[in-house]
Amino acid sequence: MSESLPPTRPRIPGSGLAKGLAVTLRTMTKKTVTAQYPDVQPELPPRSRGVIGLFEENCTVCMLCARECPDWCIYIDSHKETVPAAVEGGRERSRNVLDRFAIDFSLCMYCGICIEVCPFDALFWSPEFEYAETDIHELTHERDKLREWMWTVPAPPALDPGAEEPKEVAAARKAADKLAAAQAAEAAEAAAAQQAAAEQAAAQADQAAGPAEAAGPSEGAAPSNPTGPTGPTGPTGPTGPSDPTPNSGPEGGQS
Amino acid sequence: MNDALDVAVRLVVVFVVFLVLPLVVGQTEHKVMAHMQGRLGPMYAGGFHGWAQLVADGVKFAQKEDIVPAAADRRIFQLAPAVALLPYLLVLVVIPIGPSEGAVGQVVDAGIFFVLAVMGVGVLGSLMAGWASANKFSLLGGLRTAAQLLAYELPMLLAAASVAMAAGTVSLPGILNAFHWWWLPWQIVGALVFFVAGLAELQRPPFDMPVADSEIIFGAYTEYTGLRFALFLLAEYAGIVVLCGLTTVLFLGGWHGPWGADGLGWVWTLLKTAVLAFVVIWLRVSYPRLREDQLQKLAWTTLIPLALAQIALTGIVKVAIS
Amino acid sequence: MSATLAQAALTAPQGFLSPNGVEIAFLLVGIATLGAAVMTVTTRQLVHAALWLVVALGGLAVEYLLLTAEFIAWVQVLIYVGSIVVLLLFGLMLTKAPIGRSPDADSGNRWVALAVAVAAAGTLVWVVVDAFRTSWIDLDGPAQGSTKVSGEILFRHWVLPFEALSVLLLAALVGAIVLSRKSAPDDAPGDAPAAAPRETESR
Repeated sequence: MSESLPPTRPRIPGSGLAKGLAVTLRTMTKKTVTAQYPDVQPELPPRSRGVIGLFEENCTVCMLCARECPDWCIYIDSHKETVPAAVEGGRERSRNVLDRFAIDFSLCMYCGICIEVCPFDALFWSPEFEYAETDIHELTHERDKLREWMWTVPAPPALDPGAEEPKEVAAARKAADKLAAAQAAEAAEAAAAQQAAAEQAAAQADQAAGPAEAAGPSEGAAPSNPTGPTGPTGPTGPTGPSDPTPNSGPEGGQS
Repeated sequence: MNDALDVAVRLVVVFVVFLVLPLVVGQTEHKVMAHMQGRLGPMYAGGFHGWAQLVADGVKFAQKEDIVPAAADRRIFQLAPAVALLPYLLVLVVIPIGPSEGAVGQVVDAGIFFVLAVMGVGVLGSLMAGWASANKFSLLGGLRTAAQLLAYELPMLLAAASVAMAAGTVSLPGILNAFHWWWLPWQIVGALVFFVAGLAELQRPPFDMPVADSEIIFGAYTEYTGLRFALFLLAEYAGIVVLCGLTTVLFLGGWHGPWGADGLGWVWTLLKTAVLAFVVIWLRVSYPRLREDQLQKLAWTTLIPLALAQIALTGIVKVAIS
Repeated sequence: MSATLAQAALTAPQGFLSPNGVEIAFLLVGIATLGAAVMTVTTRQLVHAALWLVVALGGLAVEYLLLTAEFIAWVQVLIYVGSIVVLLLFGLMLTKAPIGRSPDADSGNRWVALAVAVAAAGTLVWVVVDAFRTSWIDLDGPAQGSTKVSGEILFRHWVLPFEALSVLLLAALVGAIVLSRKSAPDDAPGDAPAAAPRETESR
């Protein structure tokens, strides 16, 4: 290697030694990277996987988390309860009641699959990590402890600039748009009907008017309508009316 | 009576310096090495940035059980740390730190020879430890120590002889009295040779083959624990102090400085010694360990010819001046 | 031992019955040195012998110091303790000297050795006593063994023996190098390829 170097640039003897000294000296003047952990808490990145919190109210004991867990560290016990009918003469409903929900963190490998699969957002990541125990059995966190972790779950971090819009927001927006469009269409129909009624009344008053005249104003009324609904729906207004109403059914179910 | 008091005070001062300066160097090494590696080093002992870490270490060592291996040569095993440590204490007595008569523990006529002779005795401690431990790693460490000492004693002596020639005396205060600033460029090669050979004699990295922990655990000190091990460590750091002080006195002009040489000469000596100690630590952090054959090659094919060339240069200049 | 006796003989005319502190110290160190020397040759443990030798040589250095020959004392320590003994220990460790007694460290011709030693000691003592019978070293005056004095004596009065000695040592050195270099190809042809790379490496 040293033989290939001389043609490119002449090496000063000892330059390598000097370079080594320079590196260490430069490092000495820089800030150290030591984390003074017990004294100073670490600044964890967003979405840190410290411990899993349980939001009990959302849990329906569907057992998806326990089934998907790769190392079977989630224990769920439950029983069914019968709820009396809500209205007189209605049907009785059965409901799952959670008896035990425990995660054994001595087995957990922090893959986060349980949180991913939970259909009702009952499990959350918390960045807390200081729950080491001297007895391994203590690492099985029961329901109340998992609930305690819930209070340490931070608000979801802000999206990166230019990130894709979250599915929930997109769906909600779509639903809102649809609602607005439906309202606009209703309003337009109502307006058209009103106008038609008014024209009909006028035509009846005229008596002399032919059937061709009656069709003309009703068609001309539709383009004039958009100016009315744009107010409440905002910029999406123009697209709203163009949406065919039959489509709203399936899309609403999708969201 | 007054004389006895004077001697006692001097000895006490030297002893205190002997106990304090190595600890200061050790603590500096902790901190400097840590920061050069992007770490903080000790932070807890003593409260403020771990200033008392070595005190805590000393307490820890004192509490440890003193173990002598069953197969070891008991008496020599126990004697070795003292043999390693005491010579440095003796050397410290003769190093002058200031221009006045009172700034040296004891004026010795043949100071250079005294210092080098006594420092050579110190290495005997490592050899005794290496042999008496009845451990193959210790034995290897002792062998390497001996080989290294034999190789590096000569260039050290030759470099020191060059200064003695320049000054026309072998007494340390005498050399300092004869010092002029232009000796610095004149004797620079000798200074480098002396410092490098001294580092090798102290077995400091990058010349720490005799204690290479990745190969032979801790060389001659493998079997030691507790206070005796602490004494060996103390000997290493006392050795750094002595080597840096000696290099300062012989090559860097000791208490001579651009200003304030009369009253503040000792400050200059301490300052130069501290800078050299920093360099010792710096070298430890920066360079990997030299292999055994590289060690020998450096001594015999580089340092000794350089030292001889320095002596020749010194002789030529000396004759040209006179 | 010889030095002790000589000193004892010298002190006699000056007041043998009231020795001063330095003389007493000299005598005690001499006895200790003698003891260490005896231990060196009688101990059955090889490394102990080397370490007793250190004590003996150190004792000699102290004797030089007491005679104000400071330079000689430190050179004694530097050369003998710092180099010769280290070389000895190196050799002992290289041959893996055992801890404890070496059964083969006992020579069969003990009595012959003792006779030779006594004869040599007697000769030396007689020579020293005869040579310095009337001279007296004044320890209180200017040091007669200081570096300056030693240097002047060495390079003014004894420069020819000094140079002859250095030539002799140089010849020994060259001889050693020649011997060690020649032996490699002579040994066996099979050794040559093994020796060749080592030589190039050392260059």
